[in-house]
Amino acid sequence: MAVAARGRLGRNRLYLAGLSPAAFLLALFFVGPALWAVGSSFTNRALVGLDAANPRFVGLDNYARLFSDPDFGRVILNSVIFVIGSAIIGQFVLGLLLALLLDYAQRRGFLASNLVYGAVLLAWVNPTIIAGFLWVAMFDFYNGSLNTGLSVVGAPPVNWLGQGPMLAVIIANTWRGTAFTMLIFLGALRTIPSDIYEAARVDGASAFRRFWDHTLPILRPIAALTLLSVTMATFGTFILIQTLTNGGPAFQTEVIALYAFHEAFQNHAVGYGSTISVVMLALNLAFAVVFLRWSRARA
Amino acid sequence: MDDVTRQIITRRRFLQLTAVSAVAVACGPSAGGSSSPSSGGSAPAGGSAPAGGSGGAPSGGAVTGTINVSYPDEAGLKPKYVEQAAAALKAQFSGADVKIDLQKVGDDDFYTKLLLALDSGTGPDVFHVGGSSIGELADASYIEPLDNYISQWADWSQYPDSVRSGVTYKGSVWAIPYGLDMRWLYYRKDDLQKAGLPADWQPANVQGILDAATAVKNANEANVLPYALYAGPAGSSGTADHAFVPLLWAYGGELQDSSGKWIGDSPATKKVMAYYQKAYNGLSPKEILTSTKPWTAMREKLGNGQLALLFEGGWVYGGWASANKAATEQNIGYVLHPTESGGPSFTIGGPGTCWYISSKSANKQGAWEFIKAMNTAEIVGKLNAEDPHPVARKDAADVAEFKASKYNVDATAALEKAKFVPPDPGYSKVIEAIQKATARVAAGELGPDDAAKRYTDDLTQALGADKVTSQ
Repeated sequence: MAVAARGRLGRNRLYLAGLSPAAFLLALFFVGPALWAVGSSFTNRALVGLDAANPRFVGLDNYARLFSDPDFGRVILNSVIFVIGSAIIGQFVLGLLLALLLDYAQRRGFLASNLVYGAVLLAWVNPTIIAGFLWVAMFDFYNGSLNTGLSVVGAPPVNWLGQGPMLAVIIANTWRGTAFTMLIFLGALRTIPSDIYEAARVDGASAFRRFWDHTLPILRPIAALTLLSVTMATFGTFILIQTLTNGGPAFQTEVIALYAFHEAFQNHAVGYGSTISVVMLALNLAFAVVFLRWSRARA
Repeated sequence: MDDVTRQIITRRRFLQLTAVSAVAVACGPSAGGSSSPSSGGSAPAGGSAPAGGSGGAPSGGAVTGTINVSYPDEAGLKPKYVEQAAAALKAQFSGADVKIDLQKVGDDDFYTKLLLALDSGTGPDVFHVGGSSIGELADASYIEPLDNYISQWADWSQYPDSVRSGVTYKGSVWAIPYGLDMRWLYYRKDDLQKAGLPADWQPANVQGILDAATAVKNANEANVLPYALYAGPAGSSGTADHAFVPLLWAYGGELQDSSGKWIGDSPATKKVMAYYQKAYNGLSPKEILTSTKPWTAMREKLGNGQLALLFEGGWVYGGWASANKAATEQNIGYVLHPTESGGPSFTIGGPGTCWYISSKSANKQGAWEFIKAMNTAEIVGKLNAEDPHPVARKDAADVAEFKASKYNVDATAALEKAKFVPPDPGYSKVIEAIQKATARVAAGELGPDDAAKRYTDDLTQALGADKVTSQ
């Protein structure tokens, strides 16, 4: 009994030792700043003005202000549309389809598949800010590629970022992030031995049935994790939108992370900006808990 | 089959990759974090120990040690004068060294970076930001009052009372300006003539601006935008100082009432919002709401004739004139801002970009000596001749390079008709509310009356109900 306990402790000690660097880094770069933000959200801390010299504890004032903020509902709605559009429909579904296509093509040795693979990957390896500027170069009203193209065929220019700002940022973010989902699904697809499909084919199963009965169940656990990480990363997106529209016109693309940034670093209201990011963190945590429970229950 | 198995990543390979990426992620922010403060402005402690301390400096307020100077400049006109001032200072005080940190970024970006550095106590000794920030910087205790320095500076007598009051807050002087801000309503003579208007066009009233813009629009000139009216957060402070505020004053409104409360909804505010609605109904380009730094494109377009009307800073004229002086004088006209009823036209004045001393500076005497070296009559005159602003000190107007330009003389004369934005630290919050209100109307989300009401709400949110009123 004692030996068994010591053995377990010994094993745990080894695990703990192995985990501690990661735990230390997480504490330093995630838990620490998060706690700082929570503390700061109860103050009127600012970067300039009287509140910068004498920050005060203001209790829940910032939270009361946020929930009565007429723009906040709009910001949440924008975030939800952006996540559904670019994370779920865009990156997740498109990434899965791309992975299926590429897997199909690669199993048959189509040379063009490597080209597609490279093209999708290129979009992903760019730093976000460069991806943002690439799309500015595409959408720009005066000198953008799209409007230059239109003028070549004699069509009048379109104000892409003004008329469909949300669609524009969703397209840009989908382009940028699809590779991640695709890579993960492609990796998962390659773990499925070909004989399963061969057997299914011998049994006379259609392509759709083979996908539904064999591919999908094997992908499910990975799909759940991918969906979670893509959703949370997209919820926190702001550099790409900042580069393209900076939340405009008139709050039409202002998502929650951008709103927090604008309050803290453009309006210099650090306390209020922290409040917004704490709410964002809470929403993310709630989503993760619900989602992980749900995916575990299914598995 | 063989192919497939080979491509499966082994567990060991996976762990290796994870470890490598974890290290990369961990090192990224920490390396960035430790390097950024030193690039923003170096630690004052390092400069406090004078190198050698041989006592080679002349008597009478010897200055030693390093003076850290940080300033933004995108146009590239200031560096040679900053270098000149630094060289003069080093020649005067052999024990002193000047470390110059030129940031080639926009003023807004510089200001945020500077605030973060000041907040963490790593700011420069001397810095250069807009005079409209005096109130909020002083309230935050970031800057040093200059009263004791100017009392021993004979040149201070050259600064007129109007200039002094622009840099005075709570009874103290906080910054030294070099050139003052004023604005013009610029128009393209060629574009207006093609629309049937005279080359010496003069709007009779505010509606006259929209009428001229409509005439240009109806003339259907290829690639000519009628009018640019800044709106929304993308327009930065230009949305307030180059658009909303002059319009508000033109319609007889005020930013603050006599007790200092900010005025939200008012008949004048509604009229400004209605003006915005008309301007954004086909006269002013909607790209202003989403482009980054829309003024860059608008200034360029006015300079080459692709934009007919623009209310902008007086200093913008310098960019056009330095590109092509003759064409600028021939094609670009400038007038004061008209009012609703045709009353006296006016412009918007301001203290311009000023030099400040950080309250945490370890070398304040050195910082002050740099400011003095940077603001001699000669440098102020020459700098304002290139980067046209009315000069802050009177004797600089006599510098030959400055006097030579008719434009500089006109701009200096226009200052007499300037109205000044109140030096209130709450103004930056008011600008944010102005940006939201104008964006809502310009994007077509709210009508003028609703936008004016929301303006009150936004002001109340940002400043507190006790500081806001409506009329």
